Order: sequence, then structure tokens, then C-alpha cells
Amino acid sequence: MAVILDIIFSLVFGGALLVIVLTANDIANENYSLYNGDVVVQEMLVSTAELVEGELRNMGFGVPEKKQTVLEADTGRIKYLTDLDRNGTIDTITYYVGDTTELLQTQNELDRYLRRKVNAGMTAKVGVVTQWRLRYITASGEVLPTPVELDRLTEIHIVELTMEVQNPYAQLRRTGEVEDGQRGALYSSSFWQQTRLASQNLRR
Amino acid sequence: MSTGQSLLTIAAFMFLSTLLVNFYRLAASNGDVIAGGQDGIAETTIAISYIEIANGLAFDTVTDTSDIAINNPNSLTPPDQLGHGFSEDSLHKFNDFDDFKGYSEEKEMLGSGRRYKTKFDVYYVDPNNVNNKSSVRTFVKRMDLNVWRIFPPPDKDSGLDTMKTFTTMGYFHFD
Repeated sequence: MAVILDIIFSLVFGGALLVIVLTANDIANENYSLYNGDVVVQEMLVSTAELVEGELRNMGFGVPEKKQTVLEADTGRIKYLTDLDRNGTIDTITYYVGDTTELLQTQNELDRYLRRKVNAGMTAKVGVVTQWRLRYITASGEVLPTPVELDRLTEIHIVELTMEVQNPYAQLRRTGEVEDGQRGALYSSSFWQQTRLASQNLRR
Repeated sequence: MSTGQSLLTIAAFMFLSTLLVNFYRLAASNGDVIAGGQDGIAETTIAISYIEIANGLAFDTVTDTSDIAINNPNSLTPPDQLGHGFSEDSLHKFNDFDDFKGYSEEKEMLGSGRRYKTKFDVYYVDPNNVNNKSSVRTFVKRMDLNVWRIFPPPDKDSGLDTMKTFTTMGYFHFD
């Protein structure tokens, strides 16, 4: 009898041990994927942000004082003037986001290309974002409705940009884990938000 | 099961429990480090946004209202009077660099729901060494910014801390 009890207890303890180890292994794998995704996403965000913040920093550079700096202002699109090469010629820069259908090959259904165009040149893909939202604020703090009307473009004092990057491939979740309104996979996400002046020399 | 075997089993489970606790602690700390990276990105962008706004303002109230070049720093605002005026109660009403002195503002990162607070201090510095605070008026001002997350509040053990940075502005005038 004692031997049978020993075997039963051994099986119970062994089973518990196996469950604990398997659970820990699952968690380790899930965490590794998520943390790795977080790091990749943060690196993607920073590389795109470096370009964007460097360019928007010079918005209006070289543009005569009385001339309009922002030519088009919408939630997902901005066209502005700057002297990009510092050669005395004013350039027109356009940033805009494409459609989500352009990146159907990725698992993430929200990612899209961020595009940049200089003058009438070729459009270049400068990053992949899941959110790219521009807000335009006047000197008195009023948030202008978008698209900003042509006669109000000169009122733009601050451009606020919010950008989100998610990883294109993520960890799939089991059907039972997904509740209504949730996505079928876990995506790492990283946000970036910055305000830029439409012109550096308004009060100087 | 003999007493010896029972003790051995208990010891083995204690050992396993210790291993598991350490494992989960390590997993959680890795998450905190990476979440801290996101906070670092957010705090940096917030600080740069304020610096951008500050750099677009006049150097001093005097230089904002007058277009005449100032050659004597004693014409500027005295150090004990730096700060925003009574009517300059919000960021959009600031007109010069030192209006940020003593100011603080909360900002929410759209989309993430996280809130951050920024506190400012502005003072004159020695033009030859911007780390030296000057008790007299000079042509260089320094702004210190402290940014930290207030919501959700960071755990005491998370290692998250205030991001501190500064920017300087020197007076210049185009004739």
C-alpha cells in the first residue's frame, strides 16, 4: 500500500513540476517575443523620428518673413517650404502617409508607409508607421480644424506631430484569448510626439 | 515515504520555488527596462518640444518689445524678476525665454494615455561656462527642464527617474 501511495504522490508532484516548467517556458517565450518586439519597434521609431525631427526643425528656414511657410496642412499630410540645401533656393517638402493596403504582406493590418517628396522629385519611403497625426496650433493656442483652410495657413504657429510605430509581425494569440474588439495578435508599440514651430523667427 | 525522503522532497520544492520566483522577477525587470525606454523616448520628445517653443521666443521682455540693440546687460530683466507676468498664465502667452521660470505643465502622450509633468527653471549663466549660475545679468540664459511620468505612477522599484536636461539661449540682434 505504501509503495502505491509513493507512486501516486510521485506522479502528482512530477505532474505539478511538469506543468510549472511548461508554463514558465511559455511565459519566457512570450516575454522574449514581446520584449524583442518592443526593442525593434523603439529602434524603428527612433530612426524615423530622427529624420522627421531634423527636417521639421528647419521648417521655414530661408523663407522670406512675409511669405507663407506651410502650403498644405492636413491630419496625415503636410507641405511646407524650407531651404533644404542652404543654397538660397526655397524647396518644397511634402510628408504624407500612404494607405494600409500598400502593406498587405505584413501581419499588422495598420502599418503604412511614410513618404517624403522634395519639390517635383521622386517620392521616397522614409519609414513604416501605424499612426501619423498632425495638429496645427495658432499663436493663441487654437487648434485649427483639418484640413486647414487656405486662408488660415498663415496662422499656423506650431505643428504637433504624433507618430506610432508597431512591429509588422507579432505574436499570434489563441482564439480563446481574444475578446470582442481586440486584435488577434500582440503588437509592440512605441509613441513619439513633438511640437515644431512653423517658423523659428516669429519673435526674434 | 520515509522522513528523509519527505525532507528531500520539501527541500527540492523550496529550491524550485526560489528558482521560479527569481525567474518571474527577472522577466518583470526586463519588462520595466523596456517600458523605461518608451518613457525615455516620450520624456525626450516632450523636453525637445518645450525647448523648440522656448527657442522661438525673444531673449528677454526688453528685447521683445524693443527693436534697438542692447549693449549693456544691465538693461535686461534683473535675475530676481525673471519669470512670467501675471497675464502670461499659459504657454501660448509667453513672449520671452525666461517666462518659463517656475512654470510647470502636464502633458498627455496621445494614444498611450501616459501623462508627464515638466518643471522649468531659468536663470542667467556665465557666458564662458554655462554650468555656472550668474547672480548678475548676462547675455546668456539657461533653462533647466525636469520631466517625469506622473500617470501611471512608476513603481518605486522600477528604477524610472526624472529626465533632466537643459538648453541655453544667447542674445543676438540683427541690425
